[in-house]
Amino acid sequence: MNLEEYRTLFIVATLGLALVAASPALSVVVPFQVGSQRFSEFWLLGPGHMAEDYPFDVGVGEEYSVFVGVGNHLGSSEYYLVYVKFRNSTQPLPDIGGSVPSSLPTLYEFRFFVGDGETWESLLTFAFQDVSLEGDVVFVGDVVINDVVFSVNSVSMRDSEDEGFYFQLFFELWRYDMTMQGFRFHDRFVGIWLNMKVS
Amino acid sequence: MAIWVGVQVSGCGIERLRDVGFMSFSKLFFVLLILSVFAVPIFVSGVFGVDGADGAASAVYRAEVAVVSAYEAVLDAEEVGADVSGLLAELNVAGGYLAEAHVWFGLWDFDNATRFADLCYYSVEDVRSKAVELKNEAHSLWVTDSVVRMVWSLIGVVVVVFLGFVVWRVFKRRYHRRILGLRPEVVSSES
Repeated sequence: MNLEEYRTLFIVATLGLALVAASPALSVVVPFQVGSQRFSEFWLLGPGHMAEDYPFDVGVGEEYSVFVGVGNHLGSSEYYLVYVKFRNSTQPLPDIGGSVPSSLPTLYEFRFFVGDGETWESLLTFAFQDVSLEGDVVFVGDVVINDVVFSVNSVSMRDSEDEGFYFQLFFELWRYDMTMQGFRFHDRFVGIWLNMKVS
Repeated sequence: MAIWVGVQVSGCGIERLRDVGFMSFSKLFFVLLILSVFAVPIFVSGVFGVDGADGAASAVYRAEVAVVSAYEAVLDAEEVGADVSGLLAELNVAGGYLAEAHVWFGLWDFDNATRFADLCYYSVEDVRSKAVELKNEAHSLWVTDSVVRMVWSLIGVVVVVFLGFVVWRVFKRRYHRRILGLRPEVVSSES
């Protein structure tokens, strides 16, 4: 190695060390992004706060419960909205690919704020009233969610394959869009199937 | 002349009679119309609760605007590095009330909708000002921190460059000495 090569090596090493020394100032100007994958989690847990023992066979006169939760990994605090809806097996679900929420009316809703990297969770209780069976059709008049009565007037035909009258309680996740100045469907929904037992 | 006048008079009289009849109907119609205009809102609001709906809708709207405005201020504070967890907790209380207001509004229970919307509005009322305060505090802290970082970085860069120069000078001197030490010398071969 001749003197010129040593000089180049010294210059490069000095510049490298200078860059390290300047990094606190650079961090003020250049934001260093850590963990660039941004998303929201959305979950539903059973009454035991586990992903098991979800209510399935349901009837009149009993109260059921689930936990609904949201995790924010979007890089900043978020304003979320969860819509609770009820359907039979023929009524529309949200279209995730097309970012279209279900056209069914909202029964209950949650509005909450979640800091980045934090979670939110709430208990939801539900029950049924005014349920009747006529031939092969079950009629559900009211759904009671968190002690509030909602008239749904929904019917379900007997499912001959799965032997039951099926309904679904589902939850849509919406997020406040600052540019749109309104809530936008966040392409996520969770739900549970319920088999209505009528005596 | 007299006959003509009489005819005219009688003609006028007939015309007036008709006018009077027409006027009375139109007056009656007009009076009924005015009455109905004033009466309809009373009946409609009594039957459908339109006044309550309007009041509830405006209360819910006012609460929504207040929540979004507070949220924007909280985001601004968060952007400059303020700890907004306390404000988010306050916003969550307001969000809960607002959700309740929407639920009751959907059920046409306008009294409860208004009550919860007002609760939301009053619970979020001072969040915006707190967020602005936090933002200002965080901003001044950020400025101080940035200045300190800049100064220390500048000192660090100057020290590194100076030390690099000194080390290079020492290295160069030693290098020359070693090279010179390796220079071949002419040695007399006569003995």
